[in-house]
Amino acid sequence: MTTTAGRSTPTEPRPGVKAGSVVGWLASTDHKRIGLLTVGTSLVLLLVAGGLAMAMRAQLTQPQLEVLSNDLYNQFFTMHGSMMIYMVMTPFAIGIGLYLVPLQIGAPNVAAPRTTMLSYWLYLTGAVVMLSGFSADSGAADHGWYAYPPLASSRYTPGQGVNLWIIGVALSSLGMLLMAGTVLWTVLLKRARGMAMLRMPVFSWSIVATNLMVIGAFPTLLVAVGILAGGRVYPDMFTENIWNIGYQHLFWFFGHPVVYVMFFPFVGAVAEVLATFAGRRFFGYKFLVLSLLLFAALSMSVWGHHMFTTGQAASNYYSLTSIMLVIPAGIEYFDMLATVVGGRLRFTTPMLFALAFLPQFLIGGLTGIMVGTPALDYQMQDSYFLVAHWHYTLAAGSLFALFAGVYFWFPKASGRMLREGLGKAHFWLWVAGTNLTFLPMFWLGLNGMPRRIPTYLPRDGFTTENLIATIGAGLLAVGGLVFIANVVVALRRPHQAPPDPWQAHTLEWATSSPPPTFNFSERYPIPPIRSYAPLLDLREQEQSSRAEAG
Amino acid sequence: MPFSTVFDQLFTVWAAIAGGVFVLVTGIVLVAVLINRAKRRRKLPFRASENKPVELGYVVVLAGIVAALFYGSYQANSALNHGKGLAAETTTPAARIDVTAYRWCWDFAYQSAPVTVTGTCTTNDFPTVVVPAGQPVEFNLTSRDVVHAFWLPDFAAKRDAYPDHVNTLRMVFPEEGRWRGRCSEYCGTHHVTMDFYVRAVSPAEYQQYLDSGGAAV
Ligand code: HEM
Ligand SMILES: [Cu+2]
Ligand SMILES: [Cu+2]
Repeated sequence: MTTTAGRSTPTEPRPGVKAGSVVGWLASTDHKRIGLLTVGTSLVLLLVAGGLAMAMRAQLTQPQLEVLSNDLYNQFFTMHGSMMIYMVMTPFAIGIGLYLVPLQIGAPNVAAPRTTMLSYWLYLTGAVVMLSGFSADSGAADHGWYAYPPLASSRYTPGQGVNLWIIGVALSSLGMLLMAGTVLWTVLLKRARGMAMLRMPVFSWSIVATNLMVIGAFPTLLVAVGILAGGRVYPDMFTENIWNIGYQHLFWFFGHPVVYVMFFPFVGAVAEVLATFAGRRFFGYKFLVLSLLLFAALSMSVWGHHMFTTGQAASNYYSLTSIMLVIPAGIEYFDMLATVVGGRLRFTTPMLFALAFLPQFLIGGLTGIMVGTPALDYQMQDSYFLVAHWHYTLAAGSLFALFAGVYFWFPKASGRMLREGLGKAHFWLWVAGTNLTFLPMFWLGLNGMPRRIPTYLPRDGFTTENLIATIGAGLLAVGGLVFIANVVVALRRPHQAPPDPWQAHTLEWATSSPPPTFNFSERYPIPPIRSYAPLLDLREQEQSSRAEAG
Repeated sequence: MPFSTVFDQLFTVWAAIAGGVFVLVTGIVLVAVLINRAKRRRKLPFRASENKPVELGYVVVLAGIVAALFYGSYQANSALNHGKGLAAETTTPAARIDVTAYRWCWDFAYQSAPVTVTGTCTTNDFPTVVVPAGQPVEFNLTSRDVVHAFWLPDFAAKRDAYPDHVNTLRMVFPEEGRWRGRCSEYCGTHHVTMDFYVRAVSPAEYQQYLDSGGAAV
């Protein structure tokens, strides 16, 4: 398997279309452009989903507020959760793989670029369709992000919002399935000469594991929303238990792997950032690759831990498989810690986000063992303890890692540097904001606050924690604005980023920032590849030859 | 064993383990951040990029941890009869109550007497189900419309209520008292106020309650 560079691929801008124009972008078959469109769209939608979260936090600041009505609150948590999962974190995860993997493995483009372009279009259409629910008479979908029947049937939730939600999820999931497929295909067929599978960077491996899960799990989601679509027409089918519990099994067969789709690429990004700013080779490469694949395989066997209270799932079996996840997760932590312990650390903004990821995600992981234990889950399930748990994994964990990646690769993709001062302000606001928002929720859950409630009473005793949580959310909003300002300021400046501003390890840093159309050129050739850190190899070679000469 | 006893015991252990791991990992990160700053170090603390024996040994340790955690999880779940609570084979319930959830309140019907309890779940009209203290009680949970869940936060007990399916929940209320129960599976607009109360009274008062056809006790 060698490079196909040189063979003409249909990626040149078509004659008559200016490369920089809107059409030039939207009709592009360059993996970098499709990747940036995907990632950019998901970041804009992060703003939307985050805005909905701020409104919910405002409503919950004090007991019995009337910022949002019951129904509006229900639409907001449904759309916040649905947007975050289907339209923000998952597309970002797969899209950043599309942008980076061909660069990291020395390929000129993604395989099947037109299919890849179509996948972005499916995703964008799906997101717009889902959001358009807010313009329906009865409002947007309000059945929660996993849309259990019979609630989601036309009998109990009539109105267009749910229909639009179903169509939106189906379109964008289909898009993600296609995109995962073409990136995986690229990995198999288009690696550069010398880029053996076991020399691919950790990040590229994390995308391989991710896309394998997408291909294994997303078809089941399509079947599940197909059942929901059936229930829009024949709501009677959900008077039979088999369809209700069957839907839950199908949904969570997708639902747990997707949690790791929203996790692996971000661990991969953290691994690259840690190794780069520790100035050393990532520790334990082979074990990490194995653990990612083991993690992906196990993730397909744990779905029933979302169903301990249904009385219709084998709780001990799912508890066992869930607890077994400790093994791959433990390996990942070991390797990341060893990299930090054995490094010379430089505290850039991406490094700070990556370092904070470690303890923060850990809180999500450790409480995950708790909710994976049936005897504890009977209390914690559907309480604020669970809300705290998954926000520690997804917001304090994956979102921090996402920003580690954004600060790290922004110069590569845009040709401009972000300001370190603004980046660090964003970081500290978010460390404070995240923990103030989500830590008190553990106590709320243990004190009996159910999730998905638009308000509570003074005598419930939930007031103090909710007030703290809302203050934290305010800090998150300010931090978000600092980030936007940072990006806007940077984009208004001319290109100034060097190919490798960080002394990084992987091939994307050997080419210009931003990279040329086919990623590498005569001026920026692919360097020799002898390990998973080819640029580090080059630097070490230079050093030793200098030492010999001196 | 009662749900809350099992919960408290296991949660204490799990929280201690989690706390220990958290302190360990965060400690390692913080120490590394302090002593491995590039300004302080001219060379890498160590250069090795793998160590198979250490990593393999660590995997074995992890497998041991998994085995121990699963053992604890399994024991606790067995003590709770997989979430059903007390095993019916060993204890015949003193009260069997059919619970029907619906949008947005609850009906309770006693199997041994023609007594039913209901309410509207609006201001001050929440159903109160009366049970005998100190004796096994069985709730048979079902739903008339969507999925709901019967949650007693003070007892760490929860079970979903489905249409076309009955879930059993057996438990003992050790002393007399009154507790709030809530719906914890989101079910639409008034999910938030879908509360009920459980009132445990002495067995004699309980019998009197049933005999009088559900008059207040
Ligand atoms: C960054 C700040 C965030 C804040 C302040 C926030 C806040 C909230 C709030 C208040 C709820 C409603 C809880 C309830 O009523 O049950 C919620 C639900 C949810 N959030 Fe977030 N969230 C944030 C980020 C995220 C992220 C990054 C994700 C990642 C994917 C996420 C995923 C979800 C999901 C899946 C739900 C559940 C929706 C449902 O119940 O159907 N959130 N969040
Ligand atoms: Cu799961
Ligand atoms: Cu409910």
